[in-house]
Amino acid sequence: MLDVARLSVSYGKHVALTDVSIRVATGEAVVILGANGAGKSSLLKAIAGLVQPAPGAGVALDDKPLTGIPAHEVLEAGIALVPEGRGIFGDLTVSENLDLGAYAHRARKEAPRNRDLVYQLFPRLVERRHQRVATMSGGEQQMVAIGRALMSAPRLLMLDEPSLGLAPVMVGELFSALKQIRHAGMALLIVEQSVRKSLDLADRGYVLEAGRMVGNGTAASLREDPVVQRAFLGMAADA
Amino acid sequence: MLVTTIINGLVLGGTYALLAMGLTIQYGIARIMNLAYGETIIAAAFLAFVLNSTLGVAPLVSLLVAAPAGFALSYLIYGLMLHPLVKRSKGRASLEVDSILATFGLLFVIQGVMLVFFGGNYISYTYMNFGIDILGSSVAANRLTALILALVLGGGLYLLLTRTLWGTALRAVSVAPQSAPLVGIDADRAARFAFALGGALATCGGVVISMYQTFTASSGVIFTMKALIVVILGGVGNLAGALSAGLLLGLVETLVATYVSPGLTLAAVYFIFLGVLLWRPSGLFGRAR
Repeated sequence: MLDVARLSVSYGKHVALTDVSIRVATGEAVVILGANGAGKSSLLKAIAGLVQPAPGAGVALDDKPLTGIPAHEVLEAGIALVPEGRGIFGDLTVSENLDLGAYAHRARKEAPRNRDLVYQLFPRLVERRHQRVATMSGGEQQMVAIGRALMSAPRLLMLDEPSLGLAPVMVGELFSALKQIRHAGMALLIVEQSVRKSLDLADRGYVLEAGRMVGNGTAASLREDPVVQRAFLGMAADA
Repeated sequence: MLVTTIINGLVLGGTYALLAMGLTIQYGIARIMNLAYGETIIAAAFLAFVLNSTLGVAPLVSLLVAAPAGFALSYLIYGLMLHPLVKRSKGRASLEVDSILATFGLLFVIQGVMLVFFGGNYISYTYMNFGIDILGSSVAANRLTALILALVLGGGLYLLLTRTLWGTALRAVSVAPQSAPLVGIDADRAARFAFALGGALATCGGVVISMYQTFTASSGVIFTMKALIVVILGGVGNLAGALSAGLLLGLVETLVATYVSPGLTLAAVYFIFLGVLLWRPSGLFGRAR
């Protein structure tokens, strides 16, 4: 479904990504692993159209080329991003944020149905729907951010560090919600620091290091991979 | 006398509120500090004057011309003159400086054109110049109409921005422009529409002002200043704040002019302004961000 080929991104002289290619199939959950500064966020931002990749890159959703088109049209094509730091509208209420999630033309007709689904997924948002999101806890804000992205009825949902800064209880809740989203058949592309939890959720994964793709495989094989274990699962000390 | 004074104050305040709402939309959403704002107001006042004195068109009807014209012209000005600045700006601060300088120039262009056509004299025309009895006091009908217009337009705008998806999208751009594309909003387009909408409010305000006040080709600056003060008093980007601060300022000006001294109105305005800047820098109704 999503095809990313030879993607390179640089900010001025700083090269963030070199020649990265990934694929996400319909309904598949894929995780991107990598240390801080490996280029994970840049990858998601380039797919979302928020940063321009270097010439020669190819991003396509179902063979529809997305390279070089602005971010609001990428969303219209069916790819939603929940960015690091959430990017919600702090001064607006929960329900206004969700309404805006369905601003895309592709989502307007189904908005009432999708809103019900979001409220089912995050019941806590129902009682908070008239609250300004800036006054809510980090976990609740993340729910708004994910709910807002779901309102656009995306074919692929991308999440950048969704559990960052959340209390452990909230992380658990977050991942069980992501599991439900995945079981509903939506494709997921996740950058996440809780590697163990995201490998449990994902079908496959890629490993980024200093802007280059250094490995990929099924979630099960990555979990067994000694390099991944040492770098991300903290197993060196136990062995 | 007190009733008349209060109603006159509300009329002036309602006008200020209307003007400030336009400016706060342009600044809060389109991120353009438009120093030529007052010139747009005066241009519309001249339009109403010309239509009234040559064709006998009532100002209420002139609004139907002035609002779309203000929208279209502002849209054009944004596209031709301001969009290039937005595109090359590296951040909010540099855009602020660029837009202030550019619209400062525009101020003199529009003012110059108006001076050529109308000269520097005070202009006014008579419209609904009779008294209406309210609680035993007589209030000029044109002022009453101006107040109603200001409330209807201001209220309509408030509903548009808070009750429609389009308006909510505009507010979203004002809160977090970098996040707007994430929900499929074309932030650039939103900014252009917001600037045009602000321009339409300015021209409506201009027509309303011409109904009960004298004006000259060079009085635009005063209106920009007043609108700016109201915007800051109410909290930048805060519509309800602009509405309340506008009414407050109009009341204070009129009360001071009537009961203290007409010479002290501006002093009173700046006294309040200074106080707010010192103790509540985010505005009377602004939220700490």
